[in-house]
Amino acid sequence: MMTRSTNAPTRTVTKAVRPGLALIAMAFLFGCTGANVVVEIVVPSPLVDRLPVRVGVFFDESLKGYVHEETLEDHGNFRIELGSVQVPVFERVFDALFEETVALSTMEAGDGVEAVIVPVFEELQFAIPAQTRSQFFEVWIKYRIDVYDPGGELLAQWPLPAYGKSNERNFGFMEDSKGSGLTEASVRALRDAAAHLSFYFPRVPEIADLVEEA
Amino acid sequence: MRDYYPRAGPSRAAYDRAPLLEALLIGAIGLSAMVLSGCVTATVQQVREAHTGIGEDDRVVVLGRRNKSRNETETDFIHCVSEQITKKSDGVKVMTENEFVDSVFPWFEPRTAPLDVDDLTNVISRPLVAERIDEIGVRYLVWIEGDTVRSSEAGRLTCNIISGAIPACIGFLSWDSDSNYEASIWDVKSGIHAGRVSAEASGTSFVPAVVVPIPIIAQVRQSACTGLSDQLREFLASES
Repeated sequence: MMTRSTNAPTRTVTKAVRPGLALIAMAFLFGCTGANVVVEIVVPSPLVDRLPVRVGVFFDESLKGYVHEETLEDHGNFRIELGSVQVPVFERVFDALFEETVALSTMEAGDGVEAVIVPVFEELQFAIPAQTRSQFFEVWIKYRIDVYDPGGELLAQWPLPAYGKSNERNFGFMEDSKGSGLTEASVRALRDAAAHLSFYFPRVPEIADLVEEA
Repeated sequence: MRDYYPRAGPSRAAYDRAPLLEALLIGAIGLSAMVLSGCVTATVQQVREAHTGIGEDDRVVVLGRRNKSRNETETDFIHCVSEQITKKSDGVKVMTENEFVDSVFPWFEPRTAPLDVDDLTNVISRPLVAERIDEIGVRYLVWIEGDTVRSSEAGRLTCNIISGAIPACIGFLSWDSDSNYEASIWDVKSGIHAGRVSAEASGTSFVPAVVVPIPIIAQVRQSACTGLSDQLREFLASES
């Protein structure tokens, strides 16, 4: 009898406490452990006029395997894996922008093209709402587009800044808002890079000169 | 603050009936949450600047402004308006925001989307864009701005497990919610601003608790969505 009356409250209490424990566990999981973001994106083909130029495109290693890792005090470890999705994003834009693009395996393989384009990853930064006291997860990516002549001489270095944000209010209470928010902000930053590149790259003087000569 | 341990030694009978009472309590909370909703005051207004009307093949896109640094419209609200127009539609076909921005990429991205009808005219003067918009049959763009904010939060609610292992809450919580949304309607075919529809809604939610908490939630955002979408549907479909 004693045993039963001692155990009974434990059983009942455990049952009552279970949802609370689940919430505490979720708060722990989602609130303090940062986020692990693997970005997946398929950028639509840009609706832009094609330039009558044949270019070679070389993707260096910085673009192929980039992973951003950062620890934020009180907010945990954050890992944003961009690596494998950046190349298809640039390929999609260059395919739409130029009459013909040739994928180059080395920088020296630029024969038969009018210019060699090398996108370079420079930097990624992010912010979560708790840091900025805003309602947004934000991601900034800095690329640089190097343009070479077929002989390997550097013609131009063009900065390509990209920005993406995601509203934390779009995620429910039960969702891992840090993971989802940073994923969405990263996707938007990559879309922004593709949009910016599609709009403004044809206006780079060295590219405009190539079009004129064509 | 929660206290999970009974203060006095309850009888075995009390423990035996505890799960039943707990289930009843949870059921009562769930039921009250489903049934009770607080009062909401909603106002819908419209300003017409041009004739509208929609053809059999014309489609409408509801879009949120994504270039603002605050008060960005919730994605759920954009979906809600799109769905409500589609559901109650009498000939108004709606294309989703994602489908539209993908099909005209990169012209309607946060940093590149036209901010007024003059910008729109410039964008659709490009043959590639004009051809695509024609192909997907988009006639009206509805840009939504605004959001719902919560304010005047007050009160306190405490839950404990009382004698007999029965959870019980006591206290009172309340808060105000205010929705304020405005939709600008652009006629893509004519390149003009056709008008504006706005919806405001406000309400107070309460959670009184004497043993059982009874949430009385004001469905403010939902009311704004219903009011705005009903008015938009009428605005677009009417020939006046």
